[in-house]
Amino acid sequence: MAAVLLSVHVVVAVVFVGAVTVAVSLFPRYGRQALAGDAAAVPALRLLHRVTRVYAVLSLAVPVFGIATASSLGVLTDTWVLAAMALTLLAAGVLVGAVLPGQQQVLGAAEGGLPPGGTRTDVGARVRRLATASGTFNLVWVVVVVLMVVRPGSTTGV
Amino acid sequence: MSESPTRWLALATTVEPATLAVLLVDLATVHWAPLASAVGPLHGTAYLVTAVLARQLPLPRGVRLRGLVPAVGGLLVLRAAGRRGAAPGG
Repeated sequence: MAAVLLSVHVVVAVVFVGAVTVAVSLFPRYGRQALAGDAAAVPALRLLHRVTRVYAVLSLAVPVFGIATASSLGVLTDTWVLAAMALTLLAAGVLVGAVLPGQQQVLGAAEGGLPPGGTRTDVGARVRRLATASGTFNLVWVVVVVLMVVRPGSTTGV
Repeated sequence: MSESPTRWLALATTVEPATLAVLLVDLATVHWAPLASAVGPLHGTAYLVTAVLARQLPLPRGVRLRGLVPAVGGLLVLRAAGRRGAAPGG
């Protein structure tokens, strides 16, 4: 049973979290283009924001199946599993707290012109902050994946 | 924008109690572990998806938090949303 759970966990992680990482890393680039007046970049921005939002919700299956797998393998309280869980929470916090609101602001500015009282410099700074948050999110995921592969302290080895 | 989350919330709201029913029936009857292993995570995912989608709806905070209620949270939110949609000017 652990093999089935692990397979679902890995497939869901690759497909759903993978889509989110691609969408968040492309968004700032198209955001800059759209704010520079490129109207063709706005639909791309809308789609990337939608992919981020929808696949983030679908990604909720990843930790659930991960916990089920770890529990059936009896490694739920191993340090590397706990560390990966903490980093996953951190990544979720960055996504919900910084990336998604940042995308909404940039998309709003690109769709409806500048926000009231906003200047082009403000929006530019917002895109830069969003790019930083998106990069942080993806970096945390890379660390989680490395933890999953290397499993430091695990006796089952690679 | 609010129509699509409602549709997905309706799906998650169906899956959540259905998987819970399967788990409870399994527990009460044959108690077949592989079934519990397969359906348990599905139920967990449906619970989280329900809570997150309910949180995104344009409803008062108290109504959105009802999505956290296990098993029937989604139903409570959808019922409250339907009542609001039906009310004039609501």
